[in-house]
Amino acid sequence: MPEIKTQDFTAASSQAILDPKLRRALDRVAEGFHVARLDRIEEVTQETWDGWKDQAREIKVHTIEHLDYYLDLLDKNVAAAGGQLHFAKDADEANEIVAHIVRTRDIKVATKSKSMVSEELSLNPVLESLGVEVWETDLGEYIIQLAEETPSHLVAPALHKSKEDVAALFTDKLGIPYDEDIYNMAATARTVLRDKFMEADLGISGANFVVAETGTLVIISNEGNGRLCTSAPRVHIGITGMEKIIPSMQDLSTFLRLLPRSATGQRITSYVSMTTGPRRSDDEDGPEEFHLILVDNGRSKMLADPNLREALYCIRCGACLNICPVYSRIGGHAYGWVYPGPIGAVVSPMLVGLAKAKELPQASSLCGACREVCPINIDIPKMLLNLRTKTAESPDSTQRTAPEMERVLARLYAKLMSSPRLLKIAVRFGRFAQKIERITPFFSPLTKDGKWIRKAHLPILSRWTRSRDLPTLPKQTFHEIWQKELSDE
Amino acid sequence: MSQQAKITADLFVTCVVDQLYPNVGVSVVKVLRKLGVTIGFPEEQTCCGQPVYNTGFSQQARTLAMRVLDQFRDTEYVVVPSGSCAATIRVFYLELFADDPELLAQAKALSAKTYEFSEFLINVLKVENAADCGTTYQGTAAYHPSCHLLRELGVRSGPQKLLASVPGLEQKELEGSEICCGFGGTFSVKFPHISEGMVTDKIANVQASGADTLVSCDMSCLMNISGALNRQGSDIKVRHLAQILDAESD
Amino acid sequence: MNNPNMPGTPKSKFLQSVRDALGREDVPPTQPYRRLTETQAELEEQTAQMRKRLEDRLPTLLDKLAQMAALGGWKVHRASGAEDAIDYIQSVARESGTTSIARSTQDVFEQVPVDAALSNLGIKVTTILWDEDMPRETLREEIRQSGIGITGADYALAETGSLVVLPRRGLARLISVVPPVHIALVRAKDLLETLDDLFLLRRLEYHQQGGEMGSYLNLITGPSRTADIEMTIVEGVHGPKEVHMIILG
Repeated sequence: MPEIKTQDFTAASSQAILDPKLRRALDRVAEGFHVARLDRIEEVTQETWDGWKDQAREIKVHTIEHLDYYLDLLDKNVAAAGGQLHFAKDADEANEIVAHIVRTRDIKVATKSKSMVSEELSLNPVLESLGVEVWETDLGEYIIQLAEETPSHLVAPALHKSKEDVAALFTDKLGIPYDEDIYNMAATARTVLRDKFMEADLGISGANFVVAETGTLVIISNEGNGRLCTSAPRVHIGITGMEKIIPSMQDLSTFLRLLPRSATGQRITSYVSMTTGPRRSDDEDGPEEFHLILVDNGRSKMLADPNLREALYCIRCGACLNICPVYSRIGGHAYGWVYPGPIGAVVSPMLVGLAKAKELPQASSLCGACREVCPINIDIPKMLLNLRTKTAESPDSTQRTAPEMERVLARLYAKLMSSPRLLKIAVRFGRFAQKIERITPFFSPLTKDGKWIRKAHLPILSRWTRSRDLPTLPKQTFHEIWQKELSDE
Repeated sequence: MSQQAKITADLFVTCVVDQLYPNVGVSVVKVLRKLGVTIGFPEEQTCCGQPVYNTGFSQQARTLAMRVLDQFRDTEYVVVPSGSCAATIRVFYLELFADDPELLAQAKALSAKTYEFSEFLINVLKVENAADCGTTYQGTAAYHPSCHLLRELGVRSGPQKLLASVPGLEQKELEGSEICCGFGGTFSVKFPHISEGMVTDKIANVQASGADTLVSCDMSCLMNISGALNRQGSDIKVRHLAQILDAESD
Repeated sequence: MNNPNMPGTPKSKFLQSVRDALGREDVPPTQPYRRLTETQAELEEQTAQMRKRLEDRLPTLLDKLAQMAALGGWKVHRASGAEDAIDYIQSVARESGTTSIARSTQDVFEQVPVDAALSNLGIKVTTILWDEDMPRETLREEIRQSGIGITGADYALAETGSLVVLPRRGLARLISVVPPVHIALVRAKDLLETLDDLFLLRRLEYHQQGGEMGSYLNLITGPSRTADIEMTIVEGVHGPKEVHMIILG
């Protein structure tokens, strides 16, 4: 597993939010993908788009409900096509499978196309420890591999890097003269990786979908590295989460219409590559061996909870990241683990443990924009609320990790609001405190018109007044006005 | 104005309006009375439970929700001058009581008759023209749709249509209007650095709109936005829709 | 999973943990998934209907293909005939300055014989078709050295403006991704309307061949591209920088 930093969320996000360069980068990405996505939807009409979303959800609901059945079917059909399917219950097991293949197939060089699941496994260090030269080939992944960082977005992993950053990185790691021209930098990557593609013994890919009906692995991509990783080497290993399965090849139409548009605002990606087993005896080229590793790694926990099961419908388009006002301010690294953004705030806690990542589901205003853009209509706010309820009240003490103070305040609030009498007393006290505010430590003097508090010294209110004024209590509550003036009519 | 049988509606005034912005409640009552509605006000009401619900304390939320179920059991309509509180009652109570058939039935019954203020005007009273309320407003106004109003209740165009029909009022476009203002209840104090970032962007858009007034159907959003505007020294006013429609409002 | 030495969880155990999570026994879906119960006869019927639709709408669909392909980044040329197609290929070849071209072995090249025309420009043309004298490794090297790869089409989709290639004997996977320029010859009979049409045919083949449909499929729409650095689009990252679709008909 990659290092878990989810517990540092508050510190990490506080720092990230102060970085204007990061903000510019995030705005660029969100703006670009978001606007293009809207254009694509307008093109096909909202009605058609909604129809596709409903269809996609229906397929996912059915598939996940019968996941065992489809995994079994997939296994049979991968084998029938001459491939090998491996089941990995966790990251260690998945890495062991890869290690076994590496050792027994004499693998020296490996090229890798984008796979978020392989990030879950921390696969690269494992390969390197086996003496394998590993090359990330997706340009964004290549950049962060050089920088020894983790991806900060599902679709654009190096978005947090400016062109100056990349130029400096290339100079530092590749020893080439500093050149900020984006075209030239892409050309550099092309040149460096060209030979590696052809040299590689092993190609590792992820999968956007795996089709049970035919045993087919589907990758959508734009750069061409996905094709090269799955075509040039003699061994191909595809690694993905067990939830990526869909029943029939016919279902691909719906998902291929939704995913590119939701992810980058493209009608379709440059390439859709579909692998069904290793090359056939007559083929001109292609891998001699095809392995598919399906990983659980905690997904069965989401499967087991009907409230969280729909997190498994996610097709990793990143649309929720692009629209999220929280993600847009803090970027992906602040989330501290593989999956950032709204879906990450559900998936990361479930995969690393809610206690370790308990802040992630809290760091949302529940605005619902993510649910609105999700191509599978996944109700992310509902799942965030469910995780908050677990943090507050779960019978499982490893999940119920809300601070004691919060628990106390919640009980206090409920008690207060259950008794209009108690509430009246509290309000009287508040008005009194306001009246004598000059001699109390609770807040700084009010504004001249008496309407605002500039600075509160009380624990929670002080956080508000860091950047906002707080309204003072009015002379009467609505209850009092009603009783005095309004109730007669 | 449409002619219809006398309508009686109970007001769920919300704790934010009750405690901090009672004038909004007064405007709601005045506007509804002007439109021929008989207003009831169950006086034991306090809070719908949203703050504790949103922080995951469902037990405490149930305690407060059950008071609402009880207090509004017999009325024909419930009017709520807040998108988020209306959403809590109409949508989230159904989640809260999902595992209790008896209480769920009560929640469904309540849900069916609960309306946010602008919804009540448009869908029940069939008011389309703000002039029916006898109001005028000399000023320029931008509209901020609160997230729950927009996305939980699906109220998109109603409030703006009403605003457009207010004599004297000039509407201004608000850039990024559908982006969250950053309140999110306890989110604003649990993650103040992020919340601040969001409200900063919101008020920048409000200021750029050229409006002298920001209108919304949620005082919690307006509390957040006005707190930031005031800190900036801005003199942009914030008003609940009801206040704009209430000719006697200041 | 057949190898007892291979690490990993045995299927039965893995499926059991999935069932445990779902809280039930080993039970297949009560309502079988419609698509998975379709018989070969049904697929053949659907295909017949599809063919009729394609026939009826051919000119419109060819226009749509040209339009969507261009939107997708193909350089589209509507050829008036074989000669025109060959002229176009020659001009692309001249423009590229390459001395070496690889082409697949497909029927379309009988209709559009490019070899002589390219040889006349002093360009070496390698035909992909492995055998004893031309083993795979040699062909792979030839593809690496080629400035242009030329293929036919197995299908062309009007909906998305895409070329579909099904690598097999005579058609290498690498020929349409390694050389910096790719030219594809599309005939009217290759035309399909939608993604649904494509997958219907694939599934039909799968059924007809007793559970076999070849090892690979590429759906290609435009050149290779990336926006990974500052969202600036660059073409020709790892795949071809330039792709030409010649539509015959």
